[in-house]
Amino acid sequence: MYRFALKNLFSRPVRTLLALCGLTVAIAGMVGLFSVADGIEASVTSTFSKVPGLAVLQPGAPIPLFSHLPSAWGDEITHLPGVRIVHPEVWTRANLIEGKPRFNPPRFLFGSDLEQASRLSYSVYREGIQEGRFLTSADRGTSHAIISRPIADQLKKNVGDTLSVDGLDLDVVGIYSCKSLLLDVAIIVDIELVRRASRMGENSVSNFYVEPEPTADRGELAQKIRDHFRGRINETRQPSLGLGAAEGLVISALGGSTEPTAGTGSDESAVEVRDADDWAREFKHFSEDLDIFLMLMTGIGVTIAFVGIVNTMLMSVTERFIEFGILKANGWSSGDVLRLIAFESALLGVAGGLLGGLLGWIATHAINAHWPTRIHLYAGPRLLIASVCFSTVLGILGGLYPALRASRMLPMDAIRRG
Amino acid sequence: MIEVQNVTKTYQRGAAEVRALRGLSCTIPAGVMSFVVGPSGSGKSSLLYLLGALDQPTSGEVTCLGIRISQLSGRQRDLYRRDQVGFVFQNFNLLANLNAVENVLVPYLPQGISAARQSEALGLLERVGLGERIDHRPSQLSGGEQQRVAIARALLKRPKLVLADEPTGELDSESGAEIYRYLRELRDEHGSTVVIVTHDRTHIQPSDHVLTLRDGRLATS
Repeated sequence: MYRFALKNLFSRPVRTLLALCGLTVAIAGMVGLFSVADGIEASVTSTFSKVPGLAVLQPGAPIPLFSHLPSAWGDEITHLPGVRIVHPEVWTRANLIEGKPRFNPPRFLFGSDLEQASRLSYSVYREGIQEGRFLTSADRGTSHAIISRPIADQLKKNVGDTLSVDGLDLDVVGIYSCKSLLLDVAIIVDIELVRRASRMGENSVSNFYVEPEPTADRGELAQKIRDHFRGRINETRQPSLGLGAAEGLVISALGGSTEPTAGTGSDESAVEVRDADDWAREFKHFSEDLDIFLMLMTGIGVTIAFVGIVNTMLMSVTERFIEFGILKANGWSSGDVLRLIAFESALLGVAGGLLGGLLGWIATHAINAHWPTRIHLYAGPRLLIASVCFSTVLGILGGLYPALRASRMLPMDAIRRG
Repeated sequence: MIEVQNVTKTYQRGAAEVRALRGLSCTIPAGVMSFVVGPSGSGKSSLLYLLGALDQPTSGEVTCLGIRISQLSGRQRDLYRRDQVGFVFQNFNLLANLNAVENVLVPYLPQGISAARQSEALGLLERVGLGERIDHRPSQLSGGEQQRVAIARALLKRPKLVLADEPTGELDSESGAEIYRYLRELRDEHGSTVVIVTHDRTHIQPSDHVLTLRDGRLATS
């Protein structure tokens, strides 16, 4: 019977192809949409697995860019048991690069305390050096800079070139690549240089990167830091991020707030401490919300595909009433007819799922290859298998109503209607 | 023995109600060639479809081979059609996607085709003179050849009841005579009861049983 079902599909190539196209496009769209969320998750997981330390920020700040902390708090953290190194950081957005405004992809000036940075046992940026060298304490007070590979490629800069950022003329001494969309966005310079560029006072930093002692428990250390600053007041805090509505929306989606809390002297801690898992959790939460949005969008495509396959199967079944009448006249049961049609539509579903999955997978790779520094889509085996299963179920459900209609007819009714 | 008791059959054709059978009662003896004749619209085909459980009477009772058709469940009707009845239609009713041998095997496709059944089907096609055309699709066969495939399909079941609706209606006289020869062989070899609806009385022999219908009722037997 299954060979017969295959023959039926091949004997109506145009109809089969149209149904297949409808399903393929819907499933490819589904793969494409969900690859956005999976890509974010994959990027986040891979990025934060490379950052072993803790980030101490202003509470509610989604990323260090929106955090202000007193620089003196770094010394206090240094003296807490379990802390090996505290690395003060200042982050600001690089708005004007080489005299041109740069908004997308975003670029950041990352001010590093080079003395402390050189003492870190592991630095994701230092490990990623591809050309030239990393900054050392000898670079303090200079305009030496390390830039990411995507920035170097975008601006066609090499080691030894000069780079103008927000009025600063920087000398490129190294190029790094962490192979992460989230990390390969920085121009790393001496912290004082960024302080000047961003007009951040010398008593402020954006955040502290804390490298724990190898034997220290990260969770306990994070709690110790929070407890240490419980009830303290952050005089340097950013009262408002001054963002546009769209940016505020994105930050809210990231689990942050456009109004960072300050530690108002209540029992709350004046700092927020995040480890790699916290970052991953925040992004996971964001990607779950994104999944709902994507599901709604996919739902539209899937509904169109579903209506298409029902329509195709209904037309196919209607024009084959005589055939079903003949089959029933020859002793085929209603169940046999039902199975035949369901199998045909399931075959369409499987084929649509495989083609759609393949198309989506190819498209994600093409997009990643075309915009390597801007976007990372990921269509993994889980998504592809789910797409094929979903498409199969869609195919079977789409064929079910026409199949039930055909199978319930008396043979002569079917022959007469045909 | 087939018994038809006070059977009516009414169906809709568009907005019109068609009263195909109007209280028909008759008997058909087992193991003979029975011809149902009468003018168009007299209810011949409707009677045939009721005997084959292809359709249900509006009222009345049909008993074939000791089975009361109206009391069968849907599944029992399917099995009755598959195991007891062979159909031969005027327009052959072969499946266009399948070749000759696959069309012969159609009743058994859902169960899967055993090698024995396959070789039996090939033997039957050989017997009806289509041994060289087993791979041909209906569109590649003449009308007479298509009807022979349909007869091979009916023969494969070794049915107790063969129902033929104008089996030679679309064939030339030579092909028609050949089809009747096969039907008589079927009756002789398996003791099948063969009921043929026809306009053409030329193939009726004196020993055959004849039912004449007019306006959905028995005119003479």
